[in-house]
Amino acid sequence: MAAAAAVYGGAMKGGKLGMEEARELQLNRIRITLSSKNVKNLEKVCADLVKGAKDKQLRVKGPVRIPTKVLHITTRKSPCGEGTNTWDRFEFRIHKRVIDLISSPDVVKQITSITIEPGVEVEVTIADV
Amino acid sequence: MGGGGRKPRNFATFRLFPRAGATDPNDRVFIRVDNNDYSVPGFGDDEPYDPSLFQTDAAADHFSPTSGPLPEHVRREILELGLPDDGYNYLHHLRELRPTAATASSSFVPNQTAPPLPLDVKAYDASRVRIASGKAEDELDEGRTMCKVATKTAPVRRIERAVDPDIARLLDETDVFHGGSEGEGLEEDFVIMANRAEGDEEADDEDEEMVGDVFLSDVEEDEELKDDEGEPKQRVRRLLDEQFDLLALEEYGDSDDDNDGGVRDAECELPTEVIDELKLFHNQNVSVTEEYRTPADFVRGKLDMSTTEDVNESANVIQKCAEYAERYLNETAEEEVVPVSESSDESEMWDCETIVSTYSNLDNHPGKIQTPGNPKKRRLPKVFPGETAIVDIIKLHGKEKLPVEYLPQSKRNSGKEKKAKPAEAPSAEKFKKEVHKETKEEKKERKAAVKEEKREARKAKKELKGMYKFETQKAQKVAAVTGPASIRLM
Repeated sequence: MAAAAAVYGGAMKGGKLGMEEARELQLNRIRITLSSKNVKNLEKVCADLVKGAKDKQLRVKGPVRIPTKVLHITTRKSPCGEGTNTWDRFEFRIHKRVIDLISSPDVVKQITSITIEPGVEVEVTIADV
Repeated sequence: MGGGGRKPRNFATFRLFPRAGATDPNDRVFIRVDNNDYSVPGFGDDEPYDPSLFQTDAAADHFSPTSGPLPEHVRREILELGLPDDGYNYLHHLRELRPTAATASSSFVPNQTAPPLPLDVKAYDASRVRIASGKAEDELDEGRTMCKVATKTAPVRRIERAVDPDIARLLDETDVFHGGSEGEGLEEDFVIMANRAEGDEEADDEDEEMVGDVFLSDVEEDEELKDDEGEPKQRVRRLLDEQFDLLALEEYGDSDDDNDGGVRDAECELPTEVIDELKLFHNQNVSVTEEYRTPADFVRGKLDMSTTEDVNESANVIQKCAEYAERYLNETAEEEVVPVSESSDESEMWDCETIVSTYSNLDNHPGKIQTPGNPKKRRLPKVFPGETAIVDIIKLHGKEKLPVEYLPQSKRNSGKEKKAKPAEAPSAEKFKKEVHKETKEEKKERKAAVKEEKREARKAKKELKGMYKFETQKAQKVAAVTGPASIRLM
């Protein structure tokens, strides 16, 4: 697949064959997993990543929204056992998005280093194309 | 599971972690999270953690800190930043600001003011200081200021103002201020008067001149001024001169500068009476070289005073002083004279309020007047009416410590004899039995009484508790949220 991509790239741009080829040979499948408690930040980061990747003409598979995991914590309100049994219901939501790219790792590094909000966790998995 | 159907793990997983020891939370590094054999060239898999990867031009220098002089581009950059060019690579201490989303909006760049100076250091704005060109000219070359000279010695890119521009402006204004009034000169009253009195006494003239000179040298540093002041001093200032000045001021009002009429303003503030008084004072007493004059001298006729009333008064004063002195000398043996305030007829009539008001609370402790209460009645009669034996103390017997004598329906036995003679054994036994029985009965009664009391108390307590249960429940609810756990409400 890498060879095919190289040939294809070579057919397209004759002059800059050397450089393009070198870069394309490094293509990997990259999966970026973003997870956060905060939906707003997460969506923003997602949008920035996708936009950045599209600017660099990479193949992007748009943010896949994994169902949010909700962790519940239900505790008695009372510090002692006395009184009417009232309960507190706390919850903790984790949102997850997955973005797939096909590019070289350097590009990905650049993109991810720029667009990061606090509270968003980024995991990058690189595999062969 | 087993080794057979396992898929080949050809991937590497990295996670973004904040850099250890970095203050900026957006400064993150990719760190490998899995243990596969797959290596990714671009993600720091080959090289160890290297901060130089994030710096654009210091990559080469990072690995050769002490190898010869720094490369040209590094040196240029150091100089551009304003850091000294001494062979040390200051770029290591710098970090590039990456335009991350957070930093773009929230980066704080402090303004370029000088750090506050310690109290014992003063900063002057030397940009306007004029540097002498070496020739003894009166005209100073306006062009040669400190800044221009400085630029020739070292490249100064930006002149930092040590002093606030507002303050600098004010300082400049005050300079101009002094320059304008130097000609007129602010003089004190005594200087004026000294000048006026020049004709009368030569000694005064000398003194005042000295004083005047000293004063001038303190205030103004220009030598020209002394020459200026000398001219009006040669001519004696008379009363007429001052009157003319006052008149002139009245005529032309306050249109003059405050500085110009400095002297005249000072004079005109004083009313004429005061001026006359001062003149008198001056004529009388301001004579350092002559002998000291006391009021007595004046009495005896050595005076120049125009008014005789003052003389008489002073004479009277002397007489009075002498009288008082004599009186006190004679009266030291006697008691002290207590001043008694004269009382008119009205105040001779004393009433309660005035009398009471003369008392001091140190001795007199007023209290409220109340109806006389009954004396305290004794709760227990000390001695029962039918008692033959005199018992002063209430004795507590038994386990429950109850006053046996005063319990209801108790048969007392004043004489308990445990040691009974054997001859009287049967009677003694009988007697003993009776005593015991009585005591047993007594005990029973006593115990029953105690039990009753306790039962009653328990009942009352339960009732009380139940009465306020609702309130305590409410309070408990509140305390569960706010109060500390140590408080126990129910």
